[in-house]
Amino acid sequence: MSIFSNKSEKIFIYLFFVIGLFIPLFLEGNTFYINKLSTIIILAIFVMSLDYLVGRTGLITLGHAMFYGLGGYIFTILAPEYEAVNFWIYTFYVMLISGFIALIVGLIVLRTSGIYMIMITLALAQMTFYFFADSVEYGGQDGLFIYVKPETSIFGLSFLDLENETHFYYLCLLSLFNCFAFFKVIMNSSFGRVVDALKENPDRATALGYNIFHFRLIAYVLASSLAAYAGYLFALQFGFVNPGMMSWDISATALVMALMGGLGSIYGAIIGSFVYEGLHYYIEHLTEYWMFFMGSLIIILVLTLKKGFAGFLNDLSGGKGNE
Amino acid sequence: MNNKKKAFQSVLPATVAACLISMSSSAYAADNSDPIKVGVMLPFSGVYAGLGESTRNGLKQALKEQGNTIAGRPVEFIEMDTEAKPARAPEITSSLVDNQHADFVVGPVHSGVAMGMIKSIKGKDSIMIIPNAGANAATGAFCQPNVFRTSFSSWQTAFPMGKEAYDMGYKKIVTMSWNYGFGKESLAAFNESFTAAGGEVVKKMLVPFPKTEFQSYLTEIASIKPDAVFVFFAGGGAVKFVKDYDAMGLKGKIPLLGSGFLTEGTTKAQGPASEGVITTLHYADTLDIEKNTSFRQQYEALYGKPADLFAVQGYDAGQLIAAAVTATEGNTSDKAALIKQMEQLEIDSPRGAFHFSKAHNPIQTIYLRKVVNGQNTVIKTALENLEDPARGCKL
Amino acid sequence: MDTSLFLVQLLNGVQYGLLLFLIASGLTLVFGVMGILNLAHGSMYMIGAYLAYYFTTLTGSFFLAFIISGSIALLIGIVIERFLIIHLYKRDHLDQVLLTVGLIFIFNSIQSFVWGNDPLGVEVPALLSGSIKLTDIIEYPIYRLFISALCIVVAVSMYLTINKTKLGMMIRAGESDRAMVENLGVDISKLFTIVFAIGVFLASLAGIVSAPIVSLVPGMGEHVLISCFVVVVIGGLGSIKGAFVAALIVGIVDTYSSVLLPQISSMSIYLLMALILLVKPQGLFKN
Repeated sequence: MSIFSNKSEKIFIYLFFVIGLFIPLFLEGNTFYINKLSTIIILAIFVMSLDYLVGRTGLITLGHAMFYGLGGYIFTILAPEYEAVNFWIYTFYVMLISGFIALIVGLIVLRTSGIYMIMITLALAQMTFYFFADSVEYGGQDGLFIYVKPETSIFGLSFLDLENETHFYYLCLLSLFNCFAFFKVIMNSSFGRVVDALKENPDRATALGYNIFHFRLIAYVLASSLAAYAGYLFALQFGFVNPGMMSWDISATALVMALMGGLGSIYGAIIGSFVYEGLHYYIEHLTEYWMFFMGSLIIILVLTLKKGFAGFLNDLSGGKGNE
Repeated sequence: MNNKKKAFQSVLPATVAACLISMSSSAYAADNSDPIKVGVMLPFSGVYAGLGESTRNGLKQALKEQGNTIAGRPVEFIEMDTEAKPARAPEITSSLVDNQHADFVVGPVHSGVAMGMIKSIKGKDSIMIIPNAGANAATGAFCQPNVFRTSFSSWQTAFPMGKEAYDMGYKKIVTMSWNYGFGKESLAAFNESFTAAGGEVVKKMLVPFPKTEFQSYLTEIASIKPDAVFVFFAGGGAVKFVKDYDAMGLKGKIPLLGSGFLTEGTTKAQGPASEGVITTLHYADTLDIEKNTSFRQQYEALYGKPADLFAVQGYDAGQLIAAAVTATEGNTSDKAALIKQMEQLEIDSPRGAFHFSKAHNPIQTIYLRKVVNGQNTVIKTALENLEDPARGCKL
Repeated sequence: MDTSLFLVQLLNGVQYGLLLFLIASGLTLVFGVMGILNLAHGSMYMIGAYLAYYFTTLTGSFFLAFIISGSIALLIGIVIERFLIIHLYKRDHLDQVLLTVGLIFIFNSIQSFVWGNDPLGVEVPALLSGSIKLTDIIEYPIYRLFISALCIVVAVSMYLTINKTKLGMMIRAGESDRAMVENLGVDISKLFTIVFAIGVFLASLAGIVSAPIVSLVPGMGEHVLISCFVVVVIGGLGSIKGAFVAALIVGIVDTYSSVLLPQISSMSIYLLMALILLVKPQGLFKN
C-alpha cells in the first residue's frame, strides 16, 4: 500500500521536495528569500502538527501556539548562554519537556471537548503568555536572546552550520520532511486507524474497548511536542524568543492555514502555510488595511472551500483517495 | 489610503511565486545616480499605529526639505509594517537589509521590536536609526557601531524627575507602571535619583501589561497616602490612568508625577483630568525655540494636524540622514565613513540642538513640564545636556 | 488593609465583575440558544465603544449616542446573522471559530480606517460626573455606580425575560430541544436572528457604557474577549446564571490578587479557571 492517500498528494510532495532541494541554487545566496522560505517551512511544521490534532483527532485547540512558544523558551532557558550546545541533544530535551508539559495540560483540557476545549486551550495559552510576559528572569515582554547557536555534529561529524542561512534552510526542509513522514507512518499504523475511528464514531470505538482518553492524550502530546520543535527552530533562526510567539492570533492564523490546506490532509499544511504567507506578504505591500482583505478571504474560504486546497487539487486530479 | 507604497508594487508578488520565478541576482553597487534607500520599519497597524504615522510624517518632512534628493541622489523609501510584533522584527529587517540593501533603516517604535532588529542588523552594511524605542540596552549593553537613536533612552526621561520631586518637597513616593521594559526602566531611573536625593520609594506597583483596570491599585495608593505618585504609562493606558486617578478623587490630594509619555499626545482624550500633571521629557509641543515653531508650522501645513513628539523624532532621523550623506558627498557605500560623520554631527532639532554620545544616543536637555489648559507647558529645564550612562556599552 | 479599604476593594471587585457579566452575557446567551461561539464578540464591544465616541462627538449628548449606537449594534447583529452566521448552523465548531476570526480582522480594519489609531476618550455625561465620598481620601465616581446599576438592571431583565415571557419560553426550549420548538410552530430562524442581535447588542452596550471610563484603542476587543471566555467557562457555557456568578468571582479575585499577590495577578483568573475545571469540567452551572 502506498503511503500517499491519493495521487495529487503524491505529485505535490515529490514536486515540493525536489524544488525545495534545488531552489537555494537559484537564489544565489539571497539571504532574504532563503530566510523567508525557512520561516514558512517552520510554520508549515507547526501547522502540520495542528492539522493532525484538529483534522485527524477532531480535537480543536486555540492554544497551540503555547507549545510553539514553549519550544523556543525551553531551549533558551536550558542552554548555557555563551556556549554552543549540540542541536540534536537539545532537540530531544525540547521535545521531551514540552511533551511532558503537554501531558499535564492534556490531562486538564481533554477532560472537556468541543467548544469547551477551544476556550480552555485559549485561556491556558493566555496564562502561559502572561507567565512569560510578566516574568523577570525570562525577559518579560521583551523576551530572551540566543547568543550562540547550537552545533550539529553527530559522532564528531558536522554537516550543518546553523549560522549559515542556506544550511539552516536545509535543516528546516529536512525537518519538514521528517515531520510529514512521521505523521504518515502514524496515520497508517494501528494507532492512527484507531484515532481515525474515534473521530468518526467515538461511541463505537468505546464499545470496542478502546479508551478514547488515552488515544487522544497520546495524539495531543505528539502534536504538541512537534509544535514545540517548530518553535525551537523559529527561535534558532533569528536567535530570540518572545511571549508574542504564544499569542492567540498565532494559534488562530495557524488554524486558518490548516483550513486553507485542507483539514486532516497533513500535506495540505504545507500548501496552507505557503498560500497564507504569500498572500499576507502580497496584500500587506498593497495596503495598510491588509487585515480587511485577509478577514474577507478567510470568511469566503470557510463558506466555500470546505476541503481546502488539498481537496481542491484532489478533485482536479479526479482522485477519490482513501480518506 | 492615499499614501500608497509605490516602491512595493515593483517588489515581488507572492513570495512563493517570486522565489520560483524571479531569480534576480542582487548586483548592487552605489552609483551616484542610484537612489539612497531608506527602509522604514514602523507600526502602521495595531496599538502603536498612530505613533508610526507621526514618525513617518516627520521623517518625510525632513527629506522633503531637501527636495527628496541628497547630494544629487534621490531618496527612495521602502516601508514595512512591523505591526509592533517583535516576532516579525528579524524577518522584516532581513528583508530590508539583505534583500533591498537599504542604506538606512529607520525604526521602530516598540522596544521589543528594536531588540529583534538590532540583533539582525548587527555587523550588516546598513545603518539603523531608532526614532523612538527607548530601551536602555539599545544604546547600552546591545550598542552597535551601526545603530543610532534620535529619540531618548528610558533612563533619560525619568532620571531628572527624581531630583525634581525631592526638591518639590516629596519625601515618600509610590511608583507604578506596566510590568514591561520601558515602564520598569523608567521606575528604576526615577528611583535612582530620588533615593540619591534622600527620598524613599515606599511601594513599587507593577500592573500586568496591557491591563487598564486600575481601581484596585488606586485604592491601594489611597491607603498608603504617599506625598506623591510617580507613574509610567503611555498611549491608551495613560489616558485611562489619568482619568481614573481624577475620578477616584486622588488628584487634588496626592500630586501625580510621571515620565513625559503620561501626557504626550493624550491630553485631549484625558480632558480636564490631566490639568496640573507634572512630567519630564526631552520635548514639549509649546517649547519656545525658533526651530520648533517653524517645524510645527510646516508640519501642520503638510499633514493638516499638529506635530507631536514622535514627528520630531522622525524628523530628526531624516535630518541626520540628510546631513550625514551631504557630508560624505553622496557616498553611502563606505558605511564606516558615514558613521564617522554621523558621530560628529550636531542636529538642529525642534527640541533644541543635540549631538550623539559615544553609544549613539542623543545628549539632550530634559524639560520639566506641567499640563496647563491641555498643553504640556515647560516650567523649567530639569537637566541640561543629559547623557545616558550607557551601561554595558563598549563602544 | 483596614476594613474600610477592604470594603472599597470589594466594591471595585463587584463593579468590575458586573461589567464583565454584561459583556459575557451576550456570548453565553448566543451559545446557549444557538450553539454558536462568536469570537468576534469582543469586536462588538469595541465597535460599541467607538460608535458611542462618534455619536457623542457628533450630537454632543451621550444619551443620544447611547440610543443611536445601540440601534446600530442591533442592526449589525441582524446583518451578520442573516448573511454569515446562518451558514454555520450545520457546520462544526471549527468553522465558527474561523469565520468569526475573519470578522475580528475585518472589524479591526474598519476601526483603524474610520477612527484612526490614536487613543480616544469620551467624557462622562455631566449628569453622572460627580463622585461620592467614601473615606477621607477616596471618592467613588458616580458613573461607575451607574454602570453597576445598569448591569444589575440588565441581569434582572434577562432573568425575567427568560423565565416569564413567551420569547423566554422559546429561548429555553431552543436550548433544550430544537425540534420541539419547531413543532410548536415557532419560526426558529427568526428566533435565532433575534437572539444573535440581542447578543451583539449586549456586547455593544457594554462597550457604549464603558466608553467614558476606558480609553478607546485598537485591539481593545481582544483583551475583553479573553476575560469573557474565562467567565463563561467558569460559569458553564450557555448558563446566564453561571455567567453572573462567575463574573462576580472573577472580578473579585482579579481585584484582590492585583493588590495582595501582584506577582501572579495576571495569571490568577486563569489559575482559578483551571482549578474549577479540575473539579467541574463543565463549569459551575452546567446548562
